[in-house]
This record gives sequence, structure tokens and C-alpha cells, in this order.
Amino acid sequence: MQQDSILHFFLILAAISTIVFVFVFFSSWQDDTNNEGVKNALRKRFWFILILLVSLGIFASVTIPKSPYFLFADEVPSKIIHVSAMQYAFLLSEKNIDAKNPVGESIILPSNRLVEFRVTSLDVNHGFAIYNSEMQLITQTQAMPGYVNSLRYKFDKPGKYQVLCLELCGVGHPVMQSTFKVQ
Amino acid sequence: MESLNLKKITSLWIITILVLFVVAIVLGIVMRLNQGEVIKLEPLAFYTNMTTHGITMIGIWFVAGMVSVNYLMERYVKTSYSINLFAFVLTVIGVVILWTCTYIGNFSSGWTFLYPLPLKDSGSAPWATPMYLVALTILGIAWLVWSVSLMAQVLKKYSFSQLLAWQHLKSNPKVETPPFILISTVTLIGVIASLIAAVIVIVLYFAEYFSNGNFVNDALLMKNLTYFFGHTIANEMLYLGVAVIYEIFAEVSGRPKWKTTWYVALAWNCSLVFILTAFFHHLYMDFVQPEGLQIIGQLASYLASIPAVGVTVFTIILAVYRVRIKWSIVNLLFFIGVIGWVIGGLGAVIDATISNNVVLHNTLWVPAHFHTYNAMGNVLFSLAFFYWFSTQHIKILVISNQTLYTMGLLLIGGIGFLIAFYMGGADSVPRRYSTYPSGLASASYLAKIGASFAMLYLGAVLIFFYNISKRCFGILYSSPY
Amino acid sequence: MFRNFIFVAILAIQSTINAQHNISTLDEEKNIYEKISNVPLKIVNRDDVRKFELLYKEKPVILALVFTQCSGICNPFLIQLKNSLQFIKTDKNYQILVLSFDSRDNLESMSKLAKRFELDNAINWKFAITDSIQALNNSVGFSPLWDSIRKQFDHEALLVGINQEGYIAKKLIGVRSHYDLELMIRSINHIYTPSYKLPAKNSLFSCFNYDPLTGKNTPGTGLLIIVLPAFITAIIILFVALISRTKRLSS
Ligand code: HEM
Ligand SMILES: [Cu+2]
Repeated sequence: MQQDSILHFFLILAAISTIVFVFVFFSSWQDDTNNEGVKNALRKRFWFILILLVSLGIFASVTIPKSPYFLFADEVPSKIIHVSAMQYAFLLSEKNIDAKNPVGESIILPSNRLVEFRVTSLDVNHGFAIYNSEMQLITQTQAMPGYVNSLRYKFDKPGKYQVLCLELCGVGHPVMQSTFKVQ
Repeated sequence: MESLNLKKITSLWIITILVLFVVAIVLGIVMRLNQGEVIKLEPLAFYTNMTTHGITMIGIWFVAGMVSVNYLMERYVKTSYSINLFAFVLTVIGVVILWTCTYIGNFSSGWTFLYPLPLKDSGSAPWATPMYLVALTILGIAWLVWSVSLMAQVLKKYSFSQLLAWQHLKSNPKVETPPFILISTVTLIGVIASLIAAVIVIVLYFAEYFSNGNFVNDALLMKNLTYFFGHTIANEMLYLGVAVIYEIFAEVSGRPKWKTTWYVALAWNCSLVFILTAFFHHLYMDFVQPEGLQIIGQLASYLASIPAVGVTVFTIILAVYRVRIKWSIVNLLFFIGVIGWVIGGLGAVIDATISNNVVLHNTLWVPAHFHTYNAMGNVLFSLAFFYWFSTQHIKILVISNQTLYTMGLLLIGGIGFLIAFYMGGADSVPRRYSTYPSGLASASYLAKIGASFAMLYLGAVLIFFYNISKRCFGILYSSPY
Repeated sequence: MFRNFIFVAILAIQSTINAQHNISTLDEEKNIYEKISNVPLKIVNRDDVRKFELLYKEKPVILALVFTQCSGICNPFLIQLKNSLQFIKTDKNYQILVLSFDSRDNLESMSKLAKRFELDNAINWKFAITDSIQALNNSVGFSPLWDSIRKQFDHEALLVGINQEGYIAKKLIGVRSHYDLELMIRSINHIYTPSYKLPAKNSLFSCFNYDPLTGKNTPGTGLLIIVLPAFITAIIILFVALISRTKRLSS
């Protein structure tokens, strides 16, 4: 899972930084009276910044193309699901949802085919987050009143999926959810 | 030199901040206990607690930064005592109104009050939303006046270009701009911009509120403005703390004072721009936001870390590495705070990467990283300043065993509390849930762990609170000699 | 005071534009990605009867539903459509099918209509009638009502964008800007739009106008407001700097 590698990556970086700091801290206890340290600590350390810039640059150019706005951009979705979020429910439907009389239906999606969710909200901001059957967050978009966000995804595993709301929308926020199936 | 009045008002601020801090931590623990199903609150009660905790924490650590910068600025220019006092009075009034809104009016839309929830929240009293906005206006005006007056004072001594240390970009500058002045300026400019963004949001809210449905705001615009304010102020308050490090770290360590060089000047000037555009990363999951701005968001978030990490952290490391230093609780707190800041920053950069944000956005990863650089970063910077301020005459800066134990408690408590958040984030646990759906197996278990460690953290804070406020009361009641 | 002033100013601007809708309508989302009914079409200047399928397989279609005796929206609607399309420079494929939904219309009246708009020789435009209009109406969610007193249909101005697979990719209701038309042309050519704004909303402070032609968003009034805080800050600082400067120099 993506989250696991993120956590490991983070923990490794955090550990490295801590070790560096601890090492530096103990170095200052050495009785090395000859060493006067760096007189003006703000002196030019160009290479350090350069390394930082280059590694951030590499990181950015690797990750930006993986942004959701660029995924599946030139494929034709085989299924469209309309989603209207409202306090405190998600309505999913293969047909359009009428804002004045909103109703949803139960949804079954094909696996390994491109699905497009057209997500909007009928009242406040909500989040539209898809969790797989192991309750791992796999993708999400926001549901904003007045706008439609088109989220594209290919489900590779059949099973039951859950939708949770990920934007505070009132007291019912934590119970706002929905499900659909992938076959 | 600092006048007695300034010392007294600073003491008053410090005591007030610490009292509110203790209360807000208790609210935080209550939230974690509720999420861990140890206690049972109504969702409404949880969300009023959450809103109060958020706005109180942001408020106090922002003013803590302002108070320290104001105090240290007196070394270079005269600052206005009456405006400092004015800010104090309005801040207290503002906080009282805010607490009234949350605890009596049940205002519960989160401290960022994201449009249009406060207008469509059935749980709260009808007056709660307008009054919350009024309270924020009071705070906004008080802090604006304060920031602008500090700017005006330094501008009486330095020209605008000197404030931004532009002369250091050329060789052989005639005038030296102290790093403290440079960083304070950059930060105050950001603070002013973010407060103005808040004022605009509030005006737009009121326009809709009083228009009887004739005027409806654009949700995307409101979200952009909200995070212009919220993100920027939460970041700038950290930089206020950083300015303090530049001013007194070398001094308390018994080392020569740091000086501005061309690349320090350049880095902080760049960060002025990056900090103001990084907020776009709060809208990654709003696909309506143009892709260009999303990418600017990611790049600006990355680049904002260069002056922070590349310059400040590196400087601190160099200042300590193999240098015999007089360690005291003050520079030790600074040093550990910088570690917290770096680690929180790593978490932030990871989350500010769009392709990661898809699975981290609005999960516990978010409170995880911002609590890291707040509870284990900025708070420690401010506590260090408080210690230094409260003991400056008595000079008891040696590290006692008691100090070591307290620090240990703080570290263990803080780290445990934060790890529970990070693991929750990696387990896809949503943030801002009063209780967790049963499917999220680890969520409530982690919440219990988080709550337990947070209690250790609270214990350490109480000891600090006792030590610092005892001396601050001494200053408060001292008479001129 | 200042607050009131801004408020009044906002209301003043507000009253000059006409945007009263609180709830955004989702009507345009109806029938999206459903298949258009494959009705037989009789096209002006062509002799044979063709299935709709032949048309959209050849090029994506923008379908406009009208009737020739309309005394209401149909005429301004077609004029606007013609004008807007002239402005749109795009390399994307499309053709316009103007179809009558009134059974009283025949090839002759449709041909007159084409002449009236000087579109009888335009290659991209086709005027047609069908004998199965009900099936087509159902498939695009169009429901004109007959008003027997005025002898007119009560109906909305509807454009339906159909891609080469015969699916309804986008609908537009009402007389719309050429931005929206461009968005439709992109949609029927399979170009992914990550998001769009719903119509009939107050767009005074909206941040972006999506330009489907380039796929870029052009700044709207809202964007100015996003930079406003930085701008006001600059002014304040400049102002303070000027005042303090005179003090600094005089002392
Ligand atoms: C050990 C001390 C602290 C504890 C136990 C604590 C606990 C919490 C908890 C449980 C939440 C809600 C998380 C969720 O979304 O589910 C939260 C949110 C928050 N905390 Fe803390 N916190 C502490 C320290 C701080 C500090 C020092 C700050 C300083 C800025 C802070 C600022 C915030 C903010 C801004 C929020 C977000 C509120 C919102 O979502 O509207 N907290 N905290
Ligand atoms: Cu919600």
C-alpha cells in the first residue's frame, strides 16, 4: 500500500534527522577547547542548499505526473456515476440526480474498467473518499457546492467498497458513508 | 533597554498563554479519549471542543510569537507599550467571546470555519456564527494594529530595503541588518497579509449573512481565502519563533552573535513569496482548482522548506557541532524544538506532494504533522523564550536533574502522542471524526495510546508552567528600583 | 463604517447582475453517458433516410432541438449558436444537427429555416426531421409541453453533445456563452475535464472561467480577490514606510 511506504519513508527520514541532531549535540560536549567552532555560523554553505534543491527537484518531477488530474486523462470512461453529497449522506446513481428531489441507487461497478465519478454537493463541502474492503483509503476528491469534480479510477479488485466523508460537514460527519460493489 | 512596563505586560501575556495552553491540552486529551471510546461525548460536544482547542491553540502560539518578537525588538527600536496592552485587552475579549460562541452557542464548524458550513450548521445557536465572526474581527484588528505598529517602529530606524536586507545582496554592505530584524519583517508582512485575508473572508460572510439569500458566495473562492488566512498564520507563527532563535540562541550559548550574509538575505526574501503561495496545497483534492495552481502549490511548499531547513537548521547544527556550548534549559529547548520542526516539516513535505495527498488528505496525517512542529517545535521555542525571559535577572540557567526529567517526560509524551497520529494517518483514519467507524480497526486503539502519552506531555507542561509563571508573577509584582 | 461600505458596494454590483439561484441545478447532468436513440433522420438536401448512427460515427454531433413556428427561444437560440461557433477556433471535430421536434415540420419548412439563417450551404450544419421524435426526446431528457391556447410548445433551449460512440457527453440548457460551447466540443471529442462549474450560479466572485479551447482557466474576478490580501498588504507597508521615512529623515 502507498500509505505504508509513505510511513516508512517518513520514519527513516525522521530517524536520520534525529541521529544527526543527537550526534551534533554530543559533539558539543567533547572537551575540545582548541576548536572554536564556526565563528559566524551563517557563513556560506552553498552546497548544502544545492543538494537540497536538487533532491526536491527530483522528487517533484517524479511525483507531479502521478497527480490525479493527469491520470487516465486520455481514456474514455466505461461508466459514469453521479454523486451528490448532502448532510449526511451520499447519493450515488447511474442516472442524473435531481437537486430538488435527490435520490440515489445501489451501484455495482465493473472491475478493471475506467469509472468516472462526477461529484458535487447539495449543501456544504464534503469529501468523497473511497475505501477498499480492507478499509484502506485508495482515492478521493472533494464535493464542493456549485462545482462538479470528476474523479477517475480503475478498480482492480472485486469486492465491497466504502465511501467516507473526509471534510467536516456538521455533527453527522463521522457517520456519513455509503457503499458500492465492484464485480 | 526593556522598560519595566514591557516586562510586566510580557509577564502577563506569558501567564495568560500558559493557562490557556493547559486548558486547551486538556480539551485535546478529552477529544482523544472520546475517539478512543473511553469517555462518551455527544458529537456536538466533541466538535465544540475541537473548535475551541484549535482556535485557542492557534491564537495563543501566535501571540506567544508576537510577544517574544515585540520584547526582543526593544533592543533595536522603541516599541509601543500602549499598543501591546491594547492587543492584550482585545485578545482576552476576543477569546472570551470565542469561548462563549463555542460553549454556549455551540459553534462547531472547526477553527477554519470553512464556508458554507457555519451558515448551514443546524447544531449551533443562530447568533453563534455571526458572533464567532465578530470575535475573529476583534482579534484580527488587534493583531493587525500590533503587527503594523511593529513594522512602523522598525521602519523608523531602517529603510524598507534595509529591513529586507537587500544591501546584503551586494558586496560590502555599509549597514548591517540583524537577522532578527530581517526575519521579523518577512514574518510580519506575511502575518499582515493573512490577517487581511481573514478580514476579506469575514466581510464576504457578512455580506451573504445580511443579504437574505440575494448574495451567495463562491465556495471555491472562499476556500482559497480561508486557507490563505489559516495556512499562512499557522506557518508565520512558527517563523516568529525562529526569529527569536536567531536572536538569542548564540547569546545564551555564550557564542558570538549570528550575522546576516547574502544568502541568508536571499533565502528569507524568497520565503516571503513561497509562504504566501504554499496554501494552495490545501486545495489539491478540489479538482476545480486549475492545475497550474496545484503545481505551484507543490513547488512553493517544497521551496518554502529551503530557507527553513537549508538555512536555519544548518546554521543551528553548525553553531553546535564540536563547539563547547553552555547548555541550559533555554538552548536545549530551542535545539529540541528545531528537531521537532524538521520532522514535522518532513511530514508536511510528504503530504504536500499531490500524489501522496490523494491518500493522506484529511486523514490523521494532517494533525500528525502540524502537531509535530507545533507541540514539539513552536511550543518549545516559546517555552525557551519564556524561561529565558523569566530568569534573565536570576541567571539560574544550569541544567538540574529536575529539568532533565521534565524534558524527558515532555519528549516521551510528545513522541508517543504524535506516533499515534502518524500511524492513524497511515491507516487511513480520517481526521475530525468524533468517533470512528468500526471498520477502522486500529483507530480507537491508537486514540487511547495517544491520550495516554498526551497526559505525560501535560504533566511536563504543568511543571514548566509552575516554574515559569512563578517567576513571571515575581516580575509582575516587582516595583521600580 | 468601512464594513458597511463594502457591503453596500457588494450589493450594488450584485443587483446589476442577475443571479438569484441558491441551489445549483443538476439538470444538465441528466442522461449523461447514456446512448442517444438511434432514430431515422430525414435531412434537408439529402434524399435518403439515414439512421442517427451514421451521423455520429462520421463526426461528433451537437444536437439542437427546435421547431420552425416557434415565436420564443428557438430563433435567438440558433442565432447565438451560429455566432458563437463562428468565434470558436478549434481543430476539434464536430457537426451541428438542427432537428425539429414538432411533427408539423417537414423538409420544406426546415429548409426554409436553414435559408433564413444563411446556413443552407454550411457544410457543418444539417437540418433534419424524424418520425420518431418521442424516442429521441426520451433519450436526451427533453420534454416540450404543448400549450394549446398559444399554439406553441413550451420548451427549454437544449443542446446535446454526442460523441462518436453515440453517448451523450454533455448537455447545455439555455442560451450559453461560447466557453460552455467549447467545453461541449471538447467533451464530445473525449477530452477529460477534471471539473467544471455548475451553471446558473452567481459567478460574480468565481475564481476561474474554464476555457475549454485551450484547456486553461482564465482568471475571473475571484482570482483578483485571492491576490487582494497581498496587494492591500503591499499598500499598507508602502504607506507606513513613507510616513516613517519622513520621520527617520527629519530626526
Ligand atoms: C499534547 C497536546 C495536544 C493534544 C492532546 C492535542 C489534541 C488534538 C486532537 C485530538 C485534535 C483533533 C484531531 C482530529 O482531527 O481528529 C487536535 C486538533 C488540533 N490541534 Fe491539537 N493537541 C495538542 C496540542 C496542540 C498544539 C500545541 C497546537 C498548536 C497550534 C494544536 C493545534 C490544533 C489544531 C489547530 C487542531 C485542528 C482543529 C480543527 O481540526 O479544527 N494542538 N488536537
Ligand atoms: Cu462530512
